Amino acid sequence: MKVRFWGVRGYVPTPDAAMLRYGGNTCCTAVTGDQGELIVLDTGTGFCMLGDELMQGEFGRGRGTLTLLISHTYWDHILGLPFPGVVHIPGNRLDIYGPDSTRGSLQMVYDGMLSPVYSPVFGLAHIGATHRFTPISTEPFIVGQLTIRAMPLSYRPHSPIWAYRLEERGRVLVYITDVRYGESGIREAAIAFARNAHVLIHSAPYLRAEEVEDYGHSRIEDAIETAQAADVERLVLFHHAPTRTDDELDAIVDRLRQMLAAQGSALQLLAAAEGMELVV
Amino acid sequence: MRVRIWGTRGSYPVAHAHMLRYGGNTTCVEVEAEGHCIILDAGTGLRMLSEALQRLPAQPRQYDLLITHTHWDHIIGFPFFAPLFDPNVSLDIYGLARTQSSLRTTLAGALSDPLFPLQFDDLRAQLNFFEIGAGSEFELGPVKVRTALANHPYRALAYRLETSRGVLTFIPDTGPFHTVLFGEQRIEWAGQPTARSQSELRELAAMKEAILELAYGADWLIYDAQFTDAQYARFPHWGHSSASQAREIAEAAQVRQLILFHHDPHRTDTELDQIVAKQQSLAAPGLLVTAAFEGMELERRP
Repeated sequence: MKVRFWGVRGYVPTPDAAMLRYGGNTCCTAVTGDQGELIVLDTGTGFCMLGDELMQGEFGRGRGTLTLLISHTYWDHILGLPFPGVVHIPGNRLDIYGPDSTRGSLQMVYDGMLSPVYSPVFGLAHIGATHRFTPISTEPFIVGQLTIRAMPLSYRPHSPIWAYRLEERGRVLVYITDVRYGESGIREAAIAFARNAHVLIHSAPYLRAEEVEDYGHSRIEDAIETAQAADVERLVLFHHAPTRTDDELDAIVDRLRQMLAAQGSALQLLAAAEGMELVV
Repeated sequence: MRVRIWGTRGSYPVAHAHMLRYGGNTTCVEVEAEGHCIILDAGTGLRMLSEALQRLPAQPRQYDLLITHTHWDHIIGFPFFAPLFDPNVSLDIYGLARTQSSLRTTLAGALSDPLFPLQFDDLRAQLNFFEIGAGSEFELGPVKVRTALANHPYRALAYRLETSRGVLTFIPDTGPFHTVLFGEQRIEWAGQPTARSQSELRELAAMKEAILELAYGADWLIYDAQFTDAQYARFPHWGHSSASQAREIAEAAQVRQLILFHHDPHRTDTELDQIVAKQQSLAAPGLLVTAAFEGMELERRP
């Protein structure tokens, strides 16, 4: 399976010349299976750019099928959904998986996000592509040749946050975002879920030393510790802070790599950039 | 009266190397008059304004936020406005009165779980909500404000801000007034306009009249120019105008400077340069045609 990053910024898009190399669009990661299955992790504004590219292929002719895995429904992970033309072309199929909240099912949350007071779409019913919502559980499910597992990594019932593990022919990709390690048992659950992943994509907006109000969100060091404890091969930091320039991020990655080398750690460390592709 | 444009893009913010000069943040305009700070719309440009305010030696304690409508691109900067977390700040928020939900409920719904990690009650500033309609007139410090209805899905407000030092009219989202009449219902579009009743035609004519009056003689008209004419022909049901439709309104209202706004998220800087040059070449004598860019400042020359 292959991974391509379409949006790597957290919280809010940042159209800024000093942030273009890593990119300013919000969370969207595309995974392509060996048989061509297309699976998209979250639909921040990066999804708009992915949608534009999909228009050139089968999706432009109303013959595309897309599996969306939604981690949670904060703006930076969902607001890109209604904009690309491909979601309005009849014949295309969107299979959308994600958690229900105590405030409403995933489908209701999307419908509310598209309601006329917030969106000219006037509700989910007017998304022209065939769309099906499936609430996730910890039961694995199959998409093409990929086995997908999901795991809740926050206990806040109004805003459940789930992680995904994708496996194909023994290769493993794990996606963990917006995790709050302050909640009891979450760190252990994340480590178990990421165990032996070849690639772990982990949100990592701020360093521990940075004094910012961040809603209990995990820090960059947490991502490294989880990856090391889970014997991950490659760790990809994403969900970059909206104030982080390219040069600052380069410096952080350099310093962390030196730290890993000094420890004798085998962990490979990368920071996700828009357009970056990886073979898992 | 000094106007600063912090966000110019429509639909969604876009971070792209070929769009940085005009800018990728969504709609937000700041108006400063005798120390009074008025903000038009709360797109992601509001985060840029917030950062600029933090750099000032002393920040205002009082802000007025005038919202045209609550589509996402006009509100997603709201929680990134740092003064919201300052208990010494008071923020008066104006927006369209709706029967279906209050302005406060709409903003609170967008800002709460499961859509955003805040609760509305976490905001420390004193918030006051004012629900207004078309034709409202009120004063904010030295600024006289007037509203009209724009022709946009689910309706939107347009604003005129006037002092002795300048007139700004802000109409970021509107379709033209000849094909589709927008209201509470979604417009189905099958490639042809549906037959319009006499009453709809009268309503469109009255709406256009009110918009022209709102823009009349303005120093600066910031106006929806999301589309090219070819795009408008394909998507008239989205409630946006083309650059040439914007110019026609500016000419009819005898404004001095047209500022094309709400740029399509696919429109590159080079394309916008060409659009401005073309519309300027077609413009009536005395009309200056420009396109909004992030950081643009407008002030009447003494």
